[in-house]
Amino acid sequence: MDIIGLANYAVFMAILIGIYALLALGLNIQWGFSGLFNAGIAGFFAIGAYTSAILTSLPAAHRLGGFELPLLLGWAGAMVVAAAIAWPIGKICLRFRSDYLAIATIGVAEIIRLVIRTEGWLTGGVRGITGVPRPFGDLPYMQSQLAYLALVVVLVLAAYLLVERQLKAPWGRMMRAIRDNENAAAAMGKRVAERRLQAFVFGSALMGLAGALFVHFNRSITPEAIDPMIATFLIWIMLILGGSGNNRGAILGAAVIWIIWSVSEILTDRLPTEIAIQAKYVRVFIIGLTLQLVLRFRPEGILPERQHGTSPPRS
Amino acid sequence: MNKKTIATLVGSLLGAAVLAAPAHAQNVKIGLLGGISGPIAAMAPSMLDAARLAIAQVNEQGGILKGGKLEAVVGDSACNPQNATDAATKAVNIDRVIATVGPHCSGAVLAAANSVTVPAGVLMVTPSGTSPEITKLNDKDLVFRTVSSDDYQGRALARTLKARGINKVAVAYLNNDYGKGLAESFKAEFEAGGGTIAGYSGHEDGKASYRSDLAQLARGGADTLVIFDYGDGTGLTILRQALENNFFKTFIGADGMKSEAIIRSLGEKNLTTFFSSAPVGEASASLDAFRKAFSASGGNPDAIFTTTSYDAAFLVALAIEKAGGDKAKLSEALRSVASAPGEPILPGEWAKAKKLIAEGKDIDYKGAAGDHEFDKAGDVPGQYAFFKVSGSTYEAIADMK
Repeated sequence: MDIIGLANYAVFMAILIGIYALLALGLNIQWGFSGLFNAGIAGFFAIGAYTSAILTSLPAAHRLGGFELPLLLGWAGAMVVAAAIAWPIGKICLRFRSDYLAIATIGVAEIIRLVIRTEGWLTGGVRGITGVPRPFGDLPYMQSQLAYLALVVVLVLAAYLLVERQLKAPWGRMMRAIRDNENAAAAMGKRVAERRLQAFVFGSALMGLAGALFVHFNRSITPEAIDPMIATFLIWIMLILGGSGNNRGAILGAAVIWIIWSVSEILTDRLPTEIAIQAKYVRVFIIGLTLQLVLRFRPEGILPERQHGTSPPRS
Repeated sequence: MNKKTIATLVGSLLGAAVLAAPAHAQNVKIGLLGGISGPIAAMAPSMLDAARLAIAQVNEQGGILKGGKLEAVVGDSACNPQNATDAATKAVNIDRVIATVGPHCSGAVLAAANSVTVPAGVLMVTPSGTSPEITKLNDKDLVFRTVSSDDYQGRALARTLKARGINKVAVAYLNNDYGKGLAESFKAEFEAGGGTIAGYSGHEDGKASYRSDLAQLARGGADTLVIFDYGDGTGLTILRQALENNFFKTFIGADGMKSEAIIRSLGEKNLTTFFSSAPVGEASASLDAFRKAFSASGGNPDAIFTTTSYDAAFLVALAIEKAGGDKAKLSEALRSVASAPGEPILPGEWAKAKKLIAEGKDIDYKGAAGDHEFDKAGDVPGQYAFFKVSGSTYEAIADMK
């Protein structure tokens, strides 16, 4: 057995798990702690990816770009722009009840996708953006993958620690209070609308960062990457399975789902070649089945939300 | 973080357990990466079957190198970068392929080449990634394609229309990399030649009615509508509605519109002013050889991109044979077996090619989709003809220059 090949594959999986973990952490702030049903994750992921690509890529004739800014500015820009776009969206949409919010955010993500596809002067349109620099991209294959993994791990760790700290602070308690009983929180003088908007913007900024990490890893981005299946619903499954309301659960869910998604293809490849093509759909089925089983037998997820202090369990 | 590491290790071990079966030393693996699930799910199976036909022929006629078998590893690139990089990473690292045929979609090609196959030094030949961006890849001469860039066809079509005396057209294109790429290169060439674009607009896929789009396009006063779309999808709807409402007199399509679904739905008598461009193999003997073999194996040779898929797989096999299985020499070998001069090799002539390579003679593969003389960027110039409707199928009426 080829150890180096396996190691390369494991490193690649870990990088994608890290990127999905950031998305899941962002969603956890919005759904897990604030009860905001954001079904437009792909939109904020795309904004982050395109912002960082435009800020850092080489000049190109047919689209905006060529600023060739340093990478860190690109990533910071991705978070800032994702947050800046999330703000007016949140301002308008967060007044809806959760089910309406879900519909509104699906619409918003679709609008973002269509703008990216059609506004060629800005985003390169359907051809996308190529020539995005990758940090340590000049190293040999394995070293370059390992260096990128190190970057991703540092960022996920930093995001995890910061989000965890924020949620243990009074802000986190307040958010849970608003989520569990909005009227009671309002009666105690908490400004519900403002706090929700904060959570929405924070979560979206993290999603933007994940998009930036993704675009530099692939050195390119095309609108095909903003598919809702792979950039919205997969993340919801990760969070629900891992345990919404628990940051470690979000990261674990990202790892479990991505490993099932990726490794199950190796398993189905062992089936006879006559049914190889049909077998590719088995993994979609396995993901769906996993979600059903988790919802049936462990609806709180693998790592449920920890109960803080002496507050009674949620109903 | 610990959990992530553990989970990753568990994943690797699982993979190791599954893959513990010993590999045959002399066998060679290539990856067939295709958009099996996702937006081109209807097209991918035929394309993969065509590539598999090439592999089956290699194995029937003496195998590869010293009696080894050529093995295909099928991966689902799902037409998006996330799955394409995942499938390519598995093919390159777990299955140790030395070349890949595919991915199919341009965005998937760009991502997989940039982050997996080029850094790992693996040859990639795509049969259907048509985006001009692929030409610009910094690819260490490892990315090739057997389908021409959209740029070629759009420009050739513009020159052909000018030559036929059409100077004013409206353009309707499907807003994806295929439609838009064609429309942009067509517009640039048509206007450079002194033609007038009287209407130019993109449309989204799958709407019920395009009458308002068509009315807007017709307002420019052109008699001719150029449609860059797929004839078994939205393109059919547009053509039908344009005919019903008499918006235009003449209709021109590119290869995506050359679909028999159009003739079946609209009828030959309504299509006397419908023309389309499509790639043709120059040596039609090659195309016949492929059509015969693919039909015999149960495939439909008219399905889109089957010829390019077959050629990509056959060329990769020839290159492996020529390079003696050495990964580092593959791209050089690919250029050598695909380019003139040399003894011509037609589709399916593996035994002959193998013998010539063993004797040290130069060969030149004449593919089903064209001669495949790769340029510096690994692109092929297109060979296109202009078709009209004749009976229940299409008939070529002129070569396009």
